[in-house]
Amino acid sequence: MTDQGIKSRPIYAALRRDPSGRRHLYVSAGAEPPPPALCDGPLEGWSVGPPTAEGTRTPPEREGERRFRSASQLKATLARRLATERMGLRLYAEGPEDFLWDVFGIAQEHGLGRQEVFLKQAGTLARRVQCVHCKTLNEGVSTTIVRCAGCGANLFVRDHFSRRLSAFQGVKVDAEQPGDVPPAERAYP
Amino acid sequence: MNIQFRKDERFRESFSYVNSDAGVLRFPFPFGEDRYMYSVNIEPHTRGGPNPAFAHAFDIDEHYVAECRERALVLADDPGRCQVLPHMMPAQWDTLELLMESFAADYPEHFSLEKNGDTWRWINRPLGIEQTFVFGRPETLPCPPFEYITRQAQGDFTLQDQRDDNLFVDGGMVTTQADWSLDFDIGMSFHEWHGPVPLAHDIGVFDRALRFLLRLQYGHPVRRLNWTMTINPRLDTSPENYPDWGPDRTTVTPDNVSEKVHLRVELQTLFRLPRSNAILFGIRCYLLSLKDIERVEKWRKRLNRVLTTLPPELVEYKGLTRYRDTVLAHLAPRDDGAPLSSGIQPDQTTLPPSALSNQR
Repeated sequence: MTDQGIKSRPIYAALRRDPSGRRHLYVSAGAEPPPPALCDGPLEGWSVGPPTAEGTRTPPEREGERRFRSASQLKATLARRLATERMGLRLYAEGPEDFLWDVFGIAQEHGLGRQEVFLKQAGTLARRVQCVHCKTLNEGVSTTIVRCAGCGANLFVRDHFSRRLSAFQGVKVDAEQPGDVPPAERAYP
Repeated sequence: MNIQFRKDERFRESFSYVNSDAGVLRFPFPFGEDRYMYSVNIEPHTRGGPNPAFAHAFDIDEHYVAECRERALVLADDPGRCQVLPHMMPAQWDTLELLMESFAADYPEHFSLEKNGDTWRWINRPLGIEQTFVFGRPETLPCPPFEYITRQAQGDFTLQDQRDDNLFVDGGMVTTQADWSLDFDIGMSFHEWHGPVPLAHDIGVFDRALRFLLRLQYGHPVRRLNWTMTINPRLDTSPENYPDWGPDRTTVTPDNVSEKVHLRVELQTLFRLPRSNAILFGIRCYLLSLKDIERVEKWRKRLNRVLTTLPPELVEYKGLTRYRDTVLAHLAPRDDGAPLSSGIQPDQTTLPPSALSNQR
């Protein structure tokens, strides 16, 4: 069920420092420090405190480190930062897939090329799912079938992924035989 | 050639859709052999060939007026069916120019285009449109140029931008689609938007097709046929509205199969555009009921053979699972197994009355 043979899924490689960059920014949706492979030189590291922190932040431990209360706050700050960046920045992102492609979209909007952004999936495999019928984005979906928060349809989570929406596609599973909804399986923990 | 347009056709709810005998015989039947599998079946889009639908750059037939009205209904309900990313404005004008020039040259009794420098005058007689505008100035048209002209054309269109040795679907007018969402797919690369298609990736079809299309030359368009099946003469089989049309697939019975089930063929054409270097992809949809297919002996027998041997992945992907057996039970007794000529041409120039073929 988790491999539907659909070829629009991104494949991610481990993060490595790109020596052609002049400045390096690592953003993470988690609280872990940057991977050592990025750290042989100056690196800014942005991270997000866990939900258990309830809005409190631990102070930075080293230069270039910055901590955010949420991924939303990090992304908003990233957009402002990239608006004033110059050529030579390399951006590295680590986190769940929706976070990665939100970051990628922000980077593209601000003129970074595809070769200047590096993504690595980490943390939850839960998916953002766009209902193809009513266009509602359902966040944090961990099951093969989810009830759409917008229109109430029981959506099958297709492996078809849009980088622009950072979302998978959800299609009404019982459209042909209304009520014929198979049991949901936990597939994306 | 003066086309008699069937203005009262309806492609939804209380369906009303008829093909004339000439309309049946010009149907671009997609099966040249008794078995079907994906291939890079791309050929030059030259005039002529085995089917009259290939005789013009963009084919217009008796359903033109009704299909344009259906498109307007879909757009009124869901404006997101037409979207073009902001960097594609040159490709929008390229599209408008190509369609207007092709229509005016191929169907002069129905369309005219007069140019006076950048001031153009466009007349579309079947739809009763007269428009003077300045080429390159969107504010002189009632809507953006790509939407303006594709509202006046049959079939869907997408715009592919070429960069990074790839094609990106960065715009489209998609209201008569076989179950894919422009709103979801817009911005995707070639392999991404074809992601859900089974089997073809593994046999390298998309790698070869992309390599071929990246080299597509201005003035040398190409075409291919694709197909699926649709219950009722419904043009808008979008994923957006799947909750509305999905139940149709459970309504096929031995009694209504020949009227309900339609072969849906896409005449896909690809044109390199001159200013933008983008590619315009036309997806012209034709629907023909099983009842009308049966009137062509070769097509009736060949469809039986193709559906009998279709790989299960394709049966599933094309959504035929619930009614294929009913179709085959209907077709199999009408196929004597005799060898058929290769190619898609009907091998007959007249049709038996449809009432006769309905009995047997």
